[in-house]
Amino acid sequence: MIRFILSDLRRLWAGSLVVVLLVALATALGVSVVLQERALRLGSARAADKFDLVIGAGGSETQLVLSSVFLQPSPLPLMRGEVLGKLAADPRVDWAAPIGFGDSFSGYPIVGTTTMLAQNLSGGLIEGKIFAREGEAVIGSAVKLSLGGEIKPMHGLPEEGGETHIELVYHIAGRLRPTGTAWDRAILVPIQAVWHIHGLAAEEHAEEGAESEHEHEHEAASGTGTAEHGHEHEEAGEHHDGHEHHGKLDPDAALDESWTADAPGLPAILVKPKTIADAYKLRQEYRSGNTVAVFPGEVLTNLYATLGDAKQILVAVASGAQALVAASLVLVTVIHIGQRRRQIGALRAFGAPRGAIFGIVWLEFFFLVAVGIGLGFALGYAAALLLSDMFSETSGITMPVVFAREDAGLAAVLLAFATVLAALPAVLAYRQSPAQALRA
Amino acid sequence: MLALNIENLSVVFPGLSSPALAIGHLSIAAGSRVAITGASGSGKSTFVNIVAGLERTRQGRIRWNGEDIAGFSESRRDRFRAANIGLVMQEFHLFPGLSALENVLLPARLAGAATADIIERAHALLSTVGLSRPGQKIETMSRGEMQRVAIGRALLRKPGVIIADEPTASLDAESGEAVGDLILDLAIAEGSTLIVVSHDQRLASRLDRCITFGSGRISEDSTATAGEAA
Repeated sequence: MIRFILSDLRRLWAGSLVVVLLVALATALGVSVVLQERALRLGSARAADKFDLVIGAGGSETQLVLSSVFLQPSPLPLMRGEVLGKLAADPRVDWAAPIGFGDSFSGYPIVGTTTMLAQNLSGGLIEGKIFAREGEAVIGSAVKLSLGGEIKPMHGLPEEGGETHIELVYHIAGRLRPTGTAWDRAILVPIQAVWHIHGLAAEEHAEEGAESEHEHEHEAASGTGTAEHGHEHEEAGEHHDGHEHHGKLDPDAALDESWTADAPGLPAILVKPKTIADAYKLRQEYRSGNTVAVFPGEVLTNLYATLGDAKQILVAVASGAQALVAASLVLVTVIHIGQRRRQIGALRAFGAPRGAIFGIVWLEFFFLVAVGIGLGFALGYAAALLLSDMFSETSGITMPVVFAREDAGLAAVLLAFATVLAALPAVLAYRQSPAQALRA
Repeated sequence: MLALNIENLSVVFPGLSSPALAIGHLSIAAGSRVAITGASGSGKSTFVNIVAGLERTRQGRIRWNGEDIAGFSESRRDRFRAANIGLVMQEFHLFPGLSALENVLLPARLAGAATADIIERAHALLSTVGLSRPGQKIETMSRGEMQRVAIGRALLRKPGVIIADEPTASLDAESGEAVGDLILDLAIAEGSTLIVVSHDQRLASRLDRCITFGSGRISEDSTATAGEAA
């Protein structure tokens, strides 16, 4: 029986291939929609997981999360710099780090922040060390630059026709561990440098205060600053000599991370509260007045509630495509049976029982559809992986393509459908009298 | 060996005023060899379909050794045919992709009847019909060889009756003659009742009895042996 089915499939290989491909593509469409949507949800949720609480100036919560968690460039309103000082001193806060956007290099966003974030974001560095001076940068794991390389910040993005800042050239001091977030594509620089480049320097006394507080850090940086650093300094110096009218920035300037009331305005602050209770209290507190405080996870959930409808539309479209394929399969089946009437009639005339013929027709069709479904799952998975990779490439966010238990349900539903569909030709074959079939 | 007894048979197709086949009484003795002749549309094929149980009748009795297959259900008729009737048709209805041996065995295999004895018999039958390569693919064979495979398939389960519907019509004269001889010889050797529908006068003349159909009725029945006709 199996041999008969196989030889039959070999004989009708073109038609069989078309059936398998139809089923495979329809299944792949549905599977990739489901997988991709899940990957997007999981990936962004994991990306947001790193950031417990984000505080920004009043405005769109979604925009704040998109900018801070996913590093989507957009102009955010600024809040007063003193908020950071207050947060840094708050006993409920484990750490708080400001972030400033606006510049980019080779398509990688440059994020101005503090050593605090650089230390805590990925739980350490793969190589090098954290920036300790204004002219140093730490890169995310997915940034295709090497340690010691130069970064010339460009205002905005290349496609926006941004202008390159020539006041300061960063040198890459270290590389972070992968986080699976958009931050893997980020270049972290001292926010102080960003301010200086954009002419937003804090008051003089703030810098003076930094001298004493962070002297050990400065020393540490100088201690490791070997010939390489000297070289960098020279280069940077030469660079600046040529463009003196842009104002001179000292790449070796020490970092000031004491946050006074005079600090320039900030678009967003990432906060790591000590406990969950603290997180809720802090959010409550910073929600009023001129600031908003959000849990990125919660904002994403709200976003997904909206996107959920979009997913339903996609699923409906995919289901529609599957229904079309199912209908075309029924058509194929009926035509196929018409063509096989004589064969079926002959089998019965020569003594094959109807049950066996039912079995052959059913098994043959079910086999084709099952192979199609299997192939469709593989194709859908591959497509989702490809899309995720492409998305990760541009966003830095790792999109985990994973099958969940409910996908087995989908497979079961499809197979059940195939069972019924395969029974249709089998029943049609079963109902003919052999004499009628032979006359056809 | 099966004897056929038909009573009050009337087959009417929708849209036709006169019956396609009407037989008041017909007996064919067990072990006899009967030729069925007649013009196209005279009811020969309907006769074959009815007596082989390929088509159902609402009126009349078709008894094989006393068993009325007109009263059988579809699947019971299928089983009866599989066990008792060997069919050879004008078109061979062999399955490409399978070998000669596999084609001979296919219906028996599907019916779950392919025992070791049956497989051995399939080999023996193939050599009896003059095919030396049981593993040869069916699509590589000549038409004469294909009909030999079909004869082997018909005889596999030692049917009590062999019904051949124009077995030589699609063959050239030479291989048609050989196939006709083969069917006759095998029916005699196996002791099966033989019913051959044929235009082939030479083949018909070699059988014991010749029944001629006209307009759905028996118009002539030349009984060489002690047959009865109505």
